[in-house]
Amino acid sequence: MTAAALFQSALASLPEIVVITGACILLILGQFVRRGQEHLLVWASVAIVLIAALATLMLAGEVRPAYTGMFITDRFAVFFKFVFYLATVLTFLLSRKYADIEGIGSSEYYVLLLFALSGMMIMASATDLLSIYVGLELMVICTYVLTGFLRLERRSNEAALKYVILGAVSTGIFLYGVSLVYGLTGTTHLDGMAAAVTGDPLDPGLLLAVVFIVAGLVFKVGAVPFHMWLPDVYEGAPTTITAFMSVGPKAAGFAVILRVFLNPLVAASDVWIIVAVIAVVTTALGSFVALVQDNFKRLLAYSSIAHAGFAIFGVAAGGADGIASVMLYLLIYAIMNLGIFGAVIMMRNGDFSGEVIEDYAGFAKSHPGLALLMLLYLFSLAGIPPTAGFFAKFYVLVALVEHGFVILAIIAVLLSAVAAYFYIRIVMVIYMREPKRAFAPALTPLVGATLAVTAAGTIGIGLFPSWFLKLAQDSVLGG
Amino acid sequence: MGFPLLSVIIFTPVVGAAVLMFLRGDDAMRWTALSFTILDLALCIAMLVGFDTTTHAMQFTETRSWVPALGINYALGIDGISALFVFLTALLGSICVLASWVAIDRKVKEFMICLLFMQALMLGVFCALDLFLFYVFWEAMLIPMYLIIGVWGGEGRVYAAIKFFLYTLAGSLLFLIGVVVLYFYGGRTFDILALTEQDLPFRIQSWLFFAFLIAFAVKVPMVPLHTWLPDAHVQAPTAGSIILAGVLLKMGAYGFLRFSLPMLPEASMYYSTLMLALSVLAIVYGGLLALAQDDLKKLVAYSSISHMGFVTLGIFALNLRGLEGGILQMFNHGVTTGALFLFVGLIYERTHTRSIADYGGLMKVAPVYTTFLALFTLSSMALPGTNSFVGELLVLSGGFAANMVAGSAAVLGALLGAAYLLGMYGKIALGPAGVGARLTMSDVNAREMAAILPLAVFVLWVGLYPKPFLNVIDASVKHLLTHVHSRGSGP
Repeated sequence: MTAAALFQSALASLPEIVVITGACILLILGQFVRRGQEHLLVWASVAIVLIAALATLMLAGEVRPAYTGMFITDRFAVFFKFVFYLATVLTFLLSRKYADIEGIGSSEYYVLLLFALSGMMIMASATDLLSIYVGLELMVICTYVLTGFLRLERRSNEAALKYVILGAVSTGIFLYGVSLVYGLTGTTHLDGMAAAVTGDPLDPGLLLAVVFIVAGLVFKVGAVPFHMWLPDVYEGAPTTITAFMSVGPKAAGFAVILRVFLNPLVAASDVWIIVAVIAVVTTALGSFVALVQDNFKRLLAYSSIAHAGFAIFGVAAGGADGIASVMLYLLIYAIMNLGIFGAVIMMRNGDFSGEVIEDYAGFAKSHPGLALLMLLYLFSLAGIPPTAGFFAKFYVLVALVEHGFVILAIIAVLLSAVAAYFYIRIVMVIYMREPKRAFAPALTPLVGATLAVTAAGTIGIGLFPSWFLKLAQDSVLGG
Repeated sequence: MGFPLLSVIIFTPVVGAAVLMFLRGDDAMRWTALSFTILDLALCIAMLVGFDTTTHAMQFTETRSWVPALGINYALGIDGISALFVFLTALLGSICVLASWVAIDRKVKEFMICLLFMQALMLGVFCALDLFLFYVFWEAMLIPMYLIIGVWGGEGRVYAAIKFFLYTLAGSLLFLIGVVVLYFYGGRTFDILALTEQDLPFRIQSWLFFAFLIAFAVKVPMVPLHTWLPDAHVQAPTAGSIILAGVLLKMGAYGFLRFSLPMLPEASMYYSTLMLALSVLAIVYGGLLALAQDDLKKLVAYSSISHMGFVTLGIFALNLRGLEGGILQMFNHGVTTGALFLFVGLIYERTHTRSIADYGGLMKVAPVYTTFLALFTLSSMALPGTNSFVGELLVLSGGFAANMVAGSAAVLGALLGAAYLLGMYGKIALGPAGVGARLTMSDVNAREMAAILPLAVFVLWVGLYPKPFLNVIDASVKHLLTHVHSRGSGP
């Protein structure tokens, strides 16, 4: 590699370099932060993400392939990176007070989140199975640790252990698929793979490889049949990390899925049927099992399975509209889900955990404003207009019908009617029950800011979806 | 594009809700909500005065681009059919505030805000000329209505609220799929007027017809998708019942008029016999159920199912008298049944029982109450001189012209109506005094009179001189009918 090419490559990956360097500096400087000064860590982390965002914005103008085809900066990657930035920054803001309450004083918490962010960014930009793998592992290893961050809590340890073991298995499956691809085509590059299979009937070995790769990726977004880890891990992890995992790594998983699935290798095979089946089964399982959950975090875990299923409907639709619908869906889901998690995190105060749905009985009576916010997020998750959640679902349906999958569209909406039930059940508990105890939500200015941003997004995208839709459509792969 | 009158009408209640957020004191809430609903009503009257009854074209239209990438517009406009319901909605809006004056004694602020939002969304449904916009208004109504039933309702309110929500949501989502399919087959537009000019293949029309049918049948409600209604009505506070009966049930029928007939004319004509049969089923079955009720509110709720059967009967008779009668009957049902729910609410506030057996001899204790109740009971029975007589007569004559059997069966339903309504009135107002009457039962006061009188005026006005009302809808109905017949003949 010449110096000029190296410079170009470094330039293309500037945001990743910023985040990783920043995280390393924070890792060292973090040791000098005294107790009671932890807000410095929050602000430093936020600053690092903002600098990376600026760098991303500077590079957004043109497509820049880098590192001999392992990595690319295009609008697709930029779109996803902004979703990650949003998720990470809001997680930082939510973490401050929660970390105090849970006794998480160490700077590693923030450093690990930054490393996870850099992994997700690499995933969004990766154009080679190996660079995908690097990003993926960087991300999940950080989330393994973060899941177990509540060292004194059994649930947290158990969740981390479960996550590590199952995650390692899925990584193995993924790598096996990669090795098959390399053995059969002699390349791990996505475009190279596509070139290797043009024309002829598909090699059954390649099909097997694709199935392995799909399985590895589907694990990361928590789709059926690789969803079993998700409720336990979501429940055991610190709530802030649950919030982060439900949107950030999930979106990163979808970024990779879209890149791999839109590859001619996959398009030529019958994987589409599998995708459609996964979408139906995932949405159904998430929706139906969520009906019987009493724990708020578990319920949101199943809800996130259902939402992942709905996004996979968009993948199944395919085409530019299908991709744009998935991207828009993930953006909107990130906003509204961080909103509802913000509300749950805020409830954690003193001996009050806010994890059981019944805890929220009569919340509307004591805190009408906050209850109204929760109502907004819940109706948005259920997909009721004029909230953003409705438009997200609507656009997926448009994509499905456009490609002739009317039956899939009908299944999708009927399942979302089922899903609506458990969201409005929470609204019912909040609004229609008598309060059992006094509430003292930990509404710090930072949490308040998060809630304000997410609420504005939920209403704003719902009423004026045009700009965001255009953004998603312009950022579609190859568009 | 001149003065955006329709937008102003829709958003006046929203402004009212915003003002309420900054006020304190329950009475301030009530008076402010009342002022904004009356202001809204005044705007609607101004709209009717300026309304040109000689044309079927959409009037007061506004169009603004909303989501250009998908061809979605913020488009409003009304023809004769919508004008009537915009007016009805605004009229019932202020009556709902009056009906909740003392009945709602906790969280008054939140209640009034819900009520005002509800009104804005309902007005939006009747004014929307873009399918997407229509759907947003249509579906968003679920939120305030769910809260009105679930927070301020009776004992079983939670169950009723969730049942209402899920039934309507499931129906609406099928409608949404229909909308998206229509979008792709109808030339990638959500413009309602443009879509009515499309000629869709019969096969597509059939599918869409049934997708729409389920959505609208839940709202109307038609048997067998009606089971949410008695629960919702019985548990809802009085204002909620008035909104449900007065406006929400109309939206299903309005959907048939605005989407099914003009956009799917072939399918509408082809399946009209099925629709007539379903209508008759609703008329007779609803009547029989009403006959068996002891709970006053349930009785009125089941009678609604029966009366809405007349509406759909008139619509799918697909002739001029039937259609005009059906639409007029929608208006009448809003006025009369709205009033009956108001009366049930008044009596319940005083005695806290809705069991008919508890009453009797109310005539002696509350003469004014029973006199007006008589008027509305007779109106509900469609006695000559009242509003429903005109509507029902038109519907029946249209129904007979369309299908002899359906017409005859509907007459049977009308007889049933007389039976349960007279029975109800006899047991409540006449005869020996019952438990309820021995409780403190004061007669109606001035505030309640203010809610009752306008409705009474409309009962008699439409009953004695229906011409102005028929004039409003006439041009639009004729146009709709020629449209359906010219495009829908023969699959």
